[in-house]
Amino acid sequence: MALRLVTRNLRNRISPKLCSASLLHSHATSFGFKEVREEEKSQMVGKVFSNVASNYDLMNDFMSAGLHRLWKDRLVSELSPFPGMKHLDVAGGTGDVAFRILEIVNSIRRRALQDPINDDLQEETRIYVCDINQNMLNIGKNRAIERGLGEAKSLVWVQGDAEALSFEDNSMDGYTIAFGIRNVTHIEKVLTEAYRVLKRGGRFLCLELSHVEIPVFKELYDIYSFSVIPRLGEVVAGDRESYQYLVESIRRFPPQEKFASMIADAGFQKVKYENLVGGVVAIHSGIKI
Amino acid sequence: MYRMAANRFLHHASLVKNSGGSSLLRFPILRTVITSSWFSTYADPQTFPNQTLHPSDSSTSSSSPTTAGDDPRQRRKNPRAEYEEEQDHVLQASLRHVIRFGWSEETMIAGAKEVGVSPSIVGSFPRKEAALVEFFMDDCLQRLIDRIDSGEELRQLIPSQRISKLVRIRLEMQAPYISKWPQALSFQAHPLNVPTSFKQRAMLVDEIWHAAGDEASDIDWYVKRTFLGGIYSATEIYMLTDRSPEFRDTWLFLDDRVKDAFDLKKTLQEATYLAEAVGAGMGSSLQGFVGKVFQR
Repeated sequence: MALRLVTRNLRNRISPKLCSASLLHSHATSFGFKEVREEEKSQMVGKVFSNVASNYDLMNDFMSAGLHRLWKDRLVSELSPFPGMKHLDVAGGTGDVAFRILEIVNSIRRRALQDPINDDLQEETRIYVCDINQNMLNIGKNRAIERGLGEAKSLVWVQGDAEALSFEDNSMDGYTIAFGIRNVTHIEKVLTEAYRVLKRGGRFLCLELSHVEIPVFKELYDIYSFSVIPRLGEVVAGDRESYQYLVESIRRFPPQEKFASMIADAGFQKVKYENLVGGVVAIHSGIKI
Repeated sequence: MYRMAANRFLHHASLVKNSGGSSLLRFPILRTVITSSWFSTYADPQTFPNQTLHPSDSSTSSSSPTTAGDDPRQRRKNPRAEYEEEQDHVLQASLRHVIRFGWSEETMIAGAKEVGVSPSIVGSFPRKEAALVEFFMDDCLQRLIDRIDSGEELRQLIPSQRISKLVRIRLEMQAPYISKWPQALSFQAHPLNVPTSFKQRAMLVDEIWHAAGDEASDIDWYVKRTFLGGIYSATEIYMLTDRSPEFRDTWLFLDDRVKDAFDLKKTLQEATYLAEAVGAGMGSSLQGFVGKVFQR
């Protein structure tokens, strides 16, 4: 896992606006390898997720051979949750990241080490799970009930758009978006919103499928992505197109360095990324100061 | 640590004028250590560009207001991104809570709350608790340097006493945290943290020797640092279980160890002379004997 630190708080002088604008425009109008109108993209993505919602977790397990659990564990340990935290998990529909955070905050071991004062803080912990797709949220709510967290005050399920969040400025200690930013229409709006809702000292963490550069591994990964995954989608979920969209959208998403500079442009500091599995997945992080 | 390195650079500039050759000797070896670690862990935000830092981007830029009018060399060596300043503030505030919570994440969360920053920032420290310990070590070293530079009392003492005094000054800085110091030591001993803690201790020991007036430049340099490192660590550990008022026993222990070390040095020197004399004596008698044998 390679750790690289990219801190660029200034725009590049050489016509950056043109470059980034065209890249963003191309992201806003791309649906996988297809070209679509900007207004349509969000609808089409919505349809994809409504279709995959019921099998989402199962397919994740299949496609990543269960590794996605480890990736999410890594994301949450990077976050270092604490009792009393106000956290926002965007595009977190089925609740994977939220459940993990809650688990850490409530863990017995932690409680054993704390003052009584902190028990009150634990009550104040709030994890907001925001997703644009109601189907995904419903799946998440059901899973919460299964885990006995149905009545938990700390979990709040909110339907909303990542590009226009309904939360107040400077209200969140942490913001995570796991495997969601690839699907938004306007990446920079999401990053700006993230910056807006975070408190001073708050952290932005993004877990996303990213670009592999290692020579032989890259070819193997491409074969796996384009041959195996859509077929798996067809067999397991009965939906080839959605999974075709998935693998294509990974390729269209900006590479690690570019995305890191976009995060820095939104105002975050100490922007860095960590590649997992040679770049198949990357965790980008930044702090708001 | 890097801030400290930058300060030392400034000190070096002033020290060169004062103490002539000896300070030059001490710096070269350390400087490579410091700069190599600087570049390997941080892509320095302000060496990248365009020293043309735009004032218009000041809302998100990392240039601190003080660098605006400074000379370029200082700006390159001393770039402080905003988040680093905040992190330092948080760590400084956390030190006040160490006595209550120990060297732990909780302490740092309390420190962050005190400064008015979200405790999430704690997650961004590279090795969390170890970061706090390292900050403390750097802070103490900086204070020691300040004491050395300002203190006149050292001039009147002989080297062994000077060393004793300096180690004592340094260890007294740890005295308020002594109840939680074993925890800090355990963090420093952790394999992930050993490189940094070793480096910090090496710098500390070097600083003390330099202040004691060391002029060595060959193998002696290493021998002296190793010895002092050993004395320092032994005293530090002794201090952990010392219950005497104001750590009187620790200082007696320290004085004894320093005396032993200096005695040992004298003993070794004498042993060397003895060996040389014996060798010379034997050599000449052997020569005489061989001469007689071959003359016949």
